[in-house]
Amino acid sequence: MRKGLLRELAGGKPLWVRAVDGVDLDIRRGEVFCLVGESGCGKTSTGKAILKLVEATDGDILLEMPEGEARAYEDVRQRPDDPEARKTLDGLRRKYSVTWKESLPWTVEQALKSAGAFLAAVFLAIVAPSLLLAAVVEPFGDPWSTIGLCVSIGLILGLIGSLPPTRLSRRTRVILTLLALGSIIVAPISALSLHRALVGDVSRFDVGAALATPWTQELAAMLVGFAFGAIAAGGSSSLLLDWRSRSEGMAGIHMRSIRRRLQLIFQDPYESLNPKQSVYEIVSEPLAVNRISTNPGETSALVREALTDVGLRPPEEFLFRFPHELSGGQRQRVSIAAALVLQPDFIVADEPVSMLDVSIRTEILQVMMELRTRRGITYLFITHDLSLAWVLADRIAVMYLGKIVEMGTTEQVIGHPMHPYTKALISVVPSPDPRHKVERIILKGERPDPSDIPPGCRFHPRCPFAFERCGWTAEEVADQLRSLKAGGMLATASGVDLSDAGNVRLSMGGGGPDALVRELNALVSERRETLLPLKGIAAVHATNGFVELSLHASSEPPLLEIEPGNSVACHLVSPPATVSESLTA
Amino acid sequence: MPTLLEVRDLTIEFRTKAGIVHAVEGASFNVERGEAMGLAGESGCGKTTTALALMRLLPYNGRIVRGSISFEGRDLVPVPEDSMRAIRWKEMSIVFQGAMNSLNPVQRVGRQIAEPIMLHEEAEPEASFKRAGDLLELVGISRNRLNDYPHEFSGGMRQRVMIAMALACNPKLVIADEPVTALDVMIQAQILDLLERLRRELHLAMILISHDLSVLADTCEQVTIMYAGKTMESGKTMDLFTDPKHPYTQGLVGAFPDIRGPRNMPEAIPGDVPSLISPPSGCVFHPRCKFAFDRCTKAEPALTELSVGRRAACFLYPQVTEVPPRPIAITEV
Ligand SMILES: Nc1ncnc2c1ncn2[C@@H]1O[C@H](COP(=O)(O)OP(=O)(O)OP(=O)(O)O)[C@@H](O)[C@H]1O
Ligand code: SF4
Ligand SMILES: [Mg+2]
Repeated sequence: MRKGLLRELAGGKPLWVRAVDGVDLDIRRGEVFCLVGESGCGKTSTGKAILKLVEATDGDILLEMPEGEARAYEDVRQRPDDPEARKTLDGLRRKYSVTWKESLPWTVEQALKSAGAFLAAVFLAIVAPSLLLAAVVEPFGDPWSTIGLCVSIGLILGLIGSLPPTRLSRRTRVILTLLALGSIIVAPISALSLHRALVGDVSRFDVGAALATPWTQELAAMLVGFAFGAIAAGGSSSLLLDWRSRSEGMAGIHMRSIRRRLQLIFQDPYESLNPKQSVYEIVSEPLAVNRISTNPGETSALVREALTDVGLRPPEEFLFRFPHELSGGQRQRVSIAAALVLQPDFIVADEPVSMLDVSIRTEILQVMMELRTRRGITYLFITHDLSLAWVLADRIAVMYLGKIVEMGTTEQVIGHPMHPYTKALISVVPSPDPRHKVERIILKGERPDPSDIPPGCRFHPRCPFAFERCGWTAEEVADQLRSLKAGGMLATASGVDLSDAGNVRLSMGGGGPDALVRELNALVSERRETLLPLKGIAAVHATNGFVELSLHASSEPPLLEIEPGNSVACHLVSPPATVSESLTA
Repeated sequence: MPTLLEVRDLTIEFRTKAGIVHAVEGASFNVERGEAMGLAGESGCGKTTTALALMRLLPYNGRIVRGSISFEGRDLVPVPEDSMRAIRWKEMSIVFQGAMNSLNPVQRVGRQIAEPIMLHEEAEPEASFKRAGDLLELVGISRNRLNDYPHEFSGGMRQRVMIAMALACNPKLVIADEPVTALDVMIQAQILDLLERLRRELHLAMILISHDLSVLADTCEQVTIMYAGKTMESGKTMDLFTDPKHPYTQGLVGAFPDIRGPRNMPEAIPGDVPSLISPPSGCVFHPRCKFAFDRCTKAEPALTELSVGRRAACFLYPQVTEVPPRPIAITEV
């Protein structure tokens, strides 16, 4: 897992997920997005990284990022070396990322800056208004206490404003300012009226009369308090938030509210439930942990509602059962209920039905889909079962070795697959209708090693369509030649090895260089369609006593949008733009 | 030549503290030479129990109550244990459910394959190891890996090893119990491909057990559908899948999404699998059947031939007869 990013655009707009090696998955609100691939391809880590159950080594999970800023984010991420872009990027991350921690060392400059900000805030909030007031307004009654009151209210509000789970946004500032203004207007009035009431005739005290008296001084005091109180509130809150996001990252500030909105359903209904807890305890636990409900009556109502939602009806019948008293399907429903009780709007479901029998499986899927219609829940559905993805997903991303190789709508990806890996995967999915027979493309090998990712296209060693620029390495070509030699071919060579420079080098047998070069060339043109590594050979040349091969240059195919909404990472599938470029070139 | 395997009215019980588990009742099917027969049904319907009974490997608390298992014309039910040794593994072998995860982790794979060969065929160690190497190559693994430990093998390769072990004594019939469950789809395809190749090359008969109908649809000629220990329907794969007769088969076929079909959400079969200790009266499926009528709750439908090679146990078909009431089994407690 290299990079992970989840981005949710507010209010009915898309929810984007970027996960694994810098590729965007954009998930729209209320849709079912399926992540498919073989086990070990990184599906589960992606899901977990999104929920912050594992730390992504790099990258962002960004929440509620407006479209415009999302584009800016994309743009500046392309230019990591540009200091200006870096600054914008950090700014955006500070605002939306839940994974990002600002790693600013405490340099002298940094310390001075913070101290300066603090002094400025103190000056603005306390010293400046006092000086101003002393100069402009003739001291009366006790204006200091009035101003002091305003300022302290501002500071307190600022402090409250920076506490979790508030997120740093424009909204926060507006709310804070309004709150400050409100209290600042009310506070001096009541203070002054009280003063009047205490000093003057007690029987004449009423707010209307107090307001009706000419009060230039009070008005001036109020206006000053008004302005500086607000500044104090805004200043202290952003100072505090800034300090906190530096020390804990936005993650620390947000995670509680995010945990609640994003939920995970696990694969194994037998392992994910604690056998010693009753259904009630299991489902109510998240409520307690997230401090959503501590009132037993309310908790019980929420638990019942969640159980009813997942079809465990009547809930009373299940509340006090233990997992071993439930069927597999019922257990899985309990884990869904435990996720639902927090009313999330995004659920990561990691193989939620793969352990279940078919009839129960359908029931669980129906429950999940019904909840999507009723509550607008968005699903990231992780599965290795493509036929399930076919009927469930709105859009699909196919992963191979931690990278998205194809992504698009279900019709695009399964109906018309373009990446060779997708094609192969789909061809081997069995169908319950024996009339639907297709030619199966069975790939060789299993579960590739994620710690040893092949160069070029990471799928090339298993790809039945791999060609010149897919990333053949000298070892692969040498191995192929060795096995040919072991099979009795290449009689004119005495050995195949790698030169110091890492090139494939054949040592001469009896026939001399020309014979070997000729035999190699013939072999390559004859066998290249079946022995794909031979396609990597660009040229064969004789150099002092050896025959050396040079290989085709290769590159990793980027994930490119081939059709609107459909992206593929394969050299065979070039987007229209690249084709026309290469035609003109 | 007699049919390779002919199972008739096979009935198996388990004795437990909670009562008698009627795990399999009246199972009947045939397997021809070189043919693959699929056994399908939801979890707990008695697939594994049937397979173990065929091998005469039921656990201590299980017993065959009645019925016959005739293998090449000889009934295996009354065969004493020591004569069973001449048949088990040599004539008929099994790849146990989940066994790929129970290879001995501290013993080299080659040894684990060779040891049973020494035992069953009384072969010399050297010949046994050579045979183990041949077997590995037969299932698509290089013989260089004889000295590896199981953890050095991936899931798919361990399953290949299990298949190699089942083939060690050249059996005529191999039972594969959920051979591809929990494997990735590409590895599933590799294993199924291997089984099909072995079947062709060695002219093996096979009983393929799976809860996943799709797996059987692709690989078997015949399919038998079980539910709660009873056989609901059997027939040629093509007929059974394209025109299922029994309501349970219909439900089961409709419950699988089809990647090559329309994008319809599959249909659920409402309700739960019944208890096998006190199964429902009449047709075991009646509590979940949307066509159930009066007769279904009272009498039990017998597995009856509807057309050539096609049998079902459901009263919706007028020719289906009733199972005669059985004498109450007297089981000592
Ligand atoms: N040793 C045993 N003692 C008691 N009951 C048993 C025993 N073995 C199996 N059973 C019961 O017999 C019934 C059939 O079990 P079996 O293992 O044959 O099912 P299956 O069809 O293979 O299911 P699965 O698809 O889950 O493997 C089940 O109800 C099971 O609980
Ligand atoms: S016999 Fe009756 S209950 Fe059983 S499957 Fe047929 S219609 Fe349904
Ligand atoms: Mg079983």
